[in-house]
Amino acid sequence: MTLEIFRIDDRLVHGQVVVGWGQPCSLGFLVLVDDEVARSEWEKELYRMGVPPEMEIVFDSVESAVARLAGYRADARAGMLLTGDIDTMARLVAAAPDIRTVTVGGVHHKPGRVPRSRYVFLTPAEEARLLELAAGGVTVVAQDVPQAAATPLEVMLRGEGPT
Amino acid sequence: MNAPVAAPHLPLRVRAAMLLRLFAIQGVWNYETMVGNGIAFALEPALRRLPGGHTGDRFRAAMARHSGYFNAHPYLASVAVGALARAELDGVPDAQIERFRVAAPGPLGSVGDRLVWAGWVPFSSAVALLAFGLGMSPAGVVLVFLGTYNVLHLGLRIWGLHAGWTRGLGVASALANPVLRQGPAHVARATALIAGVALPVAADGIIGSGRAVLGGVLAAVAAGAVMVTLLHGRIEGWRVATFALAAFVLYAMVR
Amino acid sequence: MTFTDLMMLMPLAVLGAVLGLDVVSFPQAMISRPIVASTLAGALIGQPGRGLVMGVALEFFALESMPFGASRYPEWGSASVVGGVLFAQTADGTAGAMTVAALAALLTASIGGSSMVLLRRANAVWARKQQARITRGSGSAVVALQLVGMTSDLLRGGALTLVALVVFMPLYEAVTATLTISPVLSRAVVVSIASAVGLAAVWKVVHTTVGARWYLLGGLAMGFGIAAALK
Repeated sequence: MTLEIFRIDDRLVHGQVVVGWGQPCSLGFLVLVDDEVARSEWEKELYRMGVPPEMEIVFDSVESAVARLAGYRADARAGMLLTGDIDTMARLVAAAPDIRTVTVGGVHHKPGRVPRSRYVFLTPAEEARLLELAAGGVTVVAQDVPQAAATPLEVMLRGEGPT
Repeated sequence: MNAPVAAPHLPLRVRAAMLLRLFAIQGVWNYETMVGNGIAFALEPALRRLPGGHTGDRFRAAMARHSGYFNAHPYLASVAVGALARAELDGVPDAQIERFRVAAPGPLGSVGDRLVWAGWVPFSSAVALLAFGLGMSPAGVVLVFLGTYNVLHLGLRIWGLHAGWTRGLGVASALANPVLRQGPAHVARATALIAGVALPVAADGIIGSGRAVLGGVLAAVAAGAVMVTLLHGRIEGWRVATFALAAFVLYAMVR
Repeated sequence: MTFTDLMMLMPLAVLGAVLGLDVVSFPQAMISRPIVASTLAGALIGQPGRGLVMGVALEFFALESMPFGASRYPEWGSASVVGGVLFAQTADGTAGAMTVAALAALLTASIGGSSMVLLRRANAVWARKQQARITRGSGSAVVALQLVGMTSDLLRGGALTLVALVVFMPLYEAVTATLTISPVLSRAVVVSIASAVGLAAVWKVVHTTVGARWYLLGGLAMGFGIAAALK
């Protein structure tokens, strides 16, 4: 057990994370990496309310997450690290190159984004950022819940992702 | 993020209209705006009270804002609807409302999913399965299930709208309610106990006169449950079951 | 199947439509759960007891399904009408009845889940068409879109139920006619598989709660005791 899932999901803490992954994978802690949330007490309070009492949630900026990553990896419990956008995860990976797999769990619709699967919508810049990650040796997959198959990045970008 | 202590008056008919619309909040659920249109649909009766009424600029700006992407548990979305209605009628700045719309969905989804989908649904099922196993009539079993389930369902929608309206964007404190925080753990234990009792009793009720095969059934259930548990995270049990039943039907046809 | 036969299926299609609507769109009061839906379907053809038995078996399977937001899950409302009617329409003692009916229900639930995905995509297309009006803050566009989505879901559930019954009713009769397995064995197979799925589902949702596994084991011991005492 360790910090083993690095997930990009614009909903951050929500049911798929806490129940969908939390229960079958027996997640013991979540690391929420977001510079804005890390500075906002009311948002942290809101996210704390979304996590069950038996699950710990810690808040980090990208900078503090990099500093604490080794500690999270040494944790005996299973854990998941969450970022709300691709850019934050890319900055994290750039500073912590031992992150080898990134899961896109949910990037939802907004103007300028194109649907790539039922839960992944990307702008051209976001696609490029994911391809950069992959080119750097990171395995990028799309997977919303553990029961669903992990879809490789190139398959997802062809629009043949999870339907 | 704290709203003023005293909530302004919102007529009962407006609250009733919002509550009724909350039941249809997922009416046009889609992968782009998710429950967004439903949020605007449920807010609309309250937003009509903005200065200028339903043809005014503030109404139009609010409707446009709230019909965009939003995702939350359908019952706990009532909390967001109450809070957003209060914020709009109080004239809270747009940027603050937008930040709440970004932050609220996840926790509301998480709380609702744990308490309802992973908690109260299996609990209600277990109670109804036990009622069946103990020989209750079909109408009785149906009423037991619907009664048990909808006590919490209706309660959450009504409470959520009220809590959101009275606390506005400071509604995070309402999510500290013990029913929401500790409730899922208690429900999980109750579900475990009642489902444990109900599964053998209900299974026995279905097999009926064939209790001679009960030993074989028990062995198959134990082996099957272990297999499905080991497969969790890879494939859903109902899919495995579909293949198993199809294989058995084919075997029975050709044997 | 004649036109008259088709007309006789219409009340069941209407029931499937209403129950299919309940799954997500309105009012999500869980009248679409198999233990309710299958019983109602059985009651509609005068066999609520057999509908309930099928509903209980399907409820075990449904224990596993959690309708998380955008995830894909089986649609049990319409499927339970199909399973309930198939099982309830045949006399007690029909060889293989429960196995074949449960299989038909599971297949319908799977197709129903896919139909919900298609509807959600269609909803997005309709939403995009109304985007200009919605961006201008039109309340009537929001209300109209909501009504279009709900009406479509109602039609989806009705059409799914009708098509499934038209396909599975003759298949069900043909398959059960070839089977010689006893009704007891048929029920035992379904109960074994369904209970395994149900037990694993309960384990999945409770095992992370402190002490819950002991409650489950204690409950199982009590359940076996009660089952033995009821004999």
